[in-house]
Amino acid sequence: MNGRIAVTGVGVISALGTGLEEFARNLQSGKSAAAPSARFGGVTVAEIADLNPQPWLGSKGIRALDRSARLLAIAAKMALDDAGLGQQDSESGGADIGLVCGTVLGSLHSIASFDWSGLAEGPAWVNPTDFANTVINAPAGQAAIKHKLRGVNSTICAGLASGLLAIDYAADALRLGRASAVLAGGVEELCDESVRGFSATGALSPAGIARPFAANRDGVVPGEGSALLMLETEEAAGERSRAPWLELLGFGCFQDAHSINKFDLRGEGASEAMRQALEKSAIAPEQVACIVSSASGSRVGDEMEARALERVFGKHLGKIPVCAPKAAFGEAMGAAGTLCAVVAGLSLQRQEIPPTAGFAGDSAHVWLSSESLPISGEYALINALGCDGNNASLVIRLWKT
Amino acid sequence: MTRVVVTGIGVVTPIGSGRETFWNGLLGGVSGIRRVTSFDTSAYRVHNGAEVLGFDAQPYLRRLTAAMIGRTSQLAVAAGRMALFDAGLEAEQLDGRRTGVSIGTTSGEPLYVEAYNNIRKVDGADAVPDEMMARYPCHVIPVHIAMELGIHGPCLTIPTACAAGNYAIGYGFDLIRTGRADMMLSGGADAFSRITYMGFARLGAIAPDLCQPFDKDRKGMVPGEGAAILLLERLDKAQERNATIYAEVRGLGVSCDAHHMTAPHPSGEGAMRAMTAAMKESNIAREEVDYISAHGTGTITNDRVESLAVSALFGSRAARIPMSSIKSMLGHTMGAASAMEAAACCLALSTGWVPPTINLEKPDPECGLDYVPNEARRIYPRIVLNNAYAFGGNNASLCLARHED
Repeated sequence: MNGRIAVTGVGVISALGTGLEEFARNLQSGKSAAAPSARFGGVTVAEIADLNPQPWLGSKGIRALDRSARLLAIAAKMALDDAGLGQQDSESGGADIGLVCGTVLGSLHSIASFDWSGLAEGPAWVNPTDFANTVINAPAGQAAIKHKLRGVNSTICAGLASGLLAIDYAADALRLGRASAVLAGGVEELCDESVRGFSATGALSPAGIARPFAANRDGVVPGEGSALLMLETEEAAGERSRAPWLELLGFGCFQDAHSINKFDLRGEGASEAMRQALEKSAIAPEQVACIVSSASGSRVGDEMEARALERVFGKHLGKIPVCAPKAAFGEAMGAAGTLCAVVAGLSLQRQEIPPTAGFAGDSAHVWLSSESLPISGEYALINALGCDGNNASLVIRLWKT
Repeated sequence: MTRVVVTGIGVVTPIGSGRETFWNGLLGGVSGIRRVTSFDTSAYRVHNGAEVLGFDAQPYLRRLTAAMIGRTSQLAVAAGRMALFDAGLEAEQLDGRRTGVSIGTTSGEPLYVEAYNNIRKVDGADAVPDEMMARYPCHVIPVHIAMELGIHGPCLTIPTACAAGNYAIGYGFDLIRTGRADMMLSGGADAFSRITYMGFARLGAIAPDLCQPFDKDRKGMVPGEGAAILLLERLDKAQERNATIYAEVRGLGVSCDAHHMTAPHPSGEGAMRAMTAAMKESNIAREEVDYISAHGTGTITNDRVESLAVSALFGSRAARIPMSSIKSMLGHTMGAASAMEAAACCLALSTGWVPPTINLEKPDPECGLDYVPNEARRIYPRIVLNNAYAFGGNNASLCLARHED
């Protein structure tokens, strides 16, 4: 139960870039992917333009996959290749690789469209193959079929914390011996219903700019994407004599809901999640080299995280560089926690934390920067904090043999 | 690792609410399948469903208001409070920081999507009330339970469709045995939805009349709704407080067919891998399995493939292992189904009785096992397997054992 968990591959697709290289480059540039969208009546979102799955998934059977399934299957392909585990091409051969996917809305658009078609044309006329995409685990099921992933297949919904809870769930599956390799992460698609949801709940930035922690922040920019980490037990990774990239250390989560859609300014749950993660990593707050924040430009959410950070890190907070990458790739909900974990991994690898897009020097609370900042130390903390009381934090470091 | 037991059972089902009503109904062969009342089925060729009639969540709510939460949440919170009550606990006695919630579902809160489309059709999407959107995401179901009962530990939904209850219970089991929680409320919930009904109807999967798993003349499944939540607890803590122990959770086995979104792998290999993994994790031999709670939906394919998998795995002994489907009585309650079945397994282990498969008049020779036709049977099972299969090729088998002091 105490085996080390290695990250041996990564797949990432977001408005900020497709593939780790492009994602890292655009992250480093400090630019935001936010732009007014023709698809959503001019609302500013961070969307993946011209999504073309063909280079990763070929063209066979793609029509059956909705946008979430495509994003997840693309990230899965990248992570499999990156880990050197390729496509599991035989239904009976090969080790069983698992897939654990975090999401908030899953295939909401497929669900709403299926129901709409029944309303508009009558139940006898809906396309039965569309029904398969109305289950919330459809992206994970479709990606498993595409890549022959026959191990544990699960979908995890815990609000904005989903992307980190999925990682912890997968790590458990490895530690308990249910699998030796599991793809873990999250997916979220932008759709008419989700953009309406952001708007209806008052979360949307009227200015169309996500300004994490800034005094003039006015809301979030919706985002989308998928990120998956290939997680393996130390033994499994060792057998393939591959040097893993990262090691998962402590995870913490705490539920403190007072509402299903309002951040609690007190942020006790957020600080509790961070404390648990640090404690399980057996490290002191001052050993954290950098923090990848969950802040999105939300008026209350960012304030909550800032207060929680101050409580946990105290006087050390001013010396720990922070990046809030949702300024660049938007609020990618179920994918956000994992996208942030990728940012943390890149920071450790380069020993510098990327800039926070659009940062204009007006954060009183945390050390953000418009330029990359050097970091020193081996631990990175990732936060995934929700407006529904779901708070999660994870500590990672570079793999050491 | 820490041993995990079931000390509370909360159920809201088409044959009634609460452990006793549920269990008496199952042993008595009561069917919850009737004509659908929650929406007009005149555009369909089938009209039956398994709804929870006359349900009022308000008596189970102290902090939340029923009108403010979706129907799936209502069913789940009621079942959660019942499980707690059944375990002899008040919410105030819980150590909130050491307690978590894991809930399985197929559709979450689909009635909000239906309402959204209804409004959109008549008045346009801009007329949809703002707060409706926030109430849809399926993670609100366990959040509502956590808010109602003051729970602060791990809180998540595992929407692995029709096998979700087993995944959620399995995860609750994991969190306790690895020391991250002392108690978990784990189970499944789904509300009756026209989206689900329309989908299964269009697949031609809904039986026009009865649900007849393993019968030669079976004509399909019958969609249902409800919630079942188990209170899982560390064995030592349960013993400390002299709790009634229904059963011990021994292990979970999961696999993915990676074959087809809505049809099982024809050889049943995914189902076999899940059962095998569950037995391995539970450290039991095949010979020790005394009863199997079948997924048993009543569709031609499911019942044949599941029987094939059990036959292949247990060999000549397969036909001597009683295996019944309570979906014959409850219909297919989606994400709640395997949680209701797990609850039935716990009661089978604690009472010695196993529930029947009703409506089984002409056993299908292509299935060929002992499905406990029509009459409950007293077999004093010691080890049981609870099978669940889902869209996406998700298979999950849960192994439960009689608790012996």
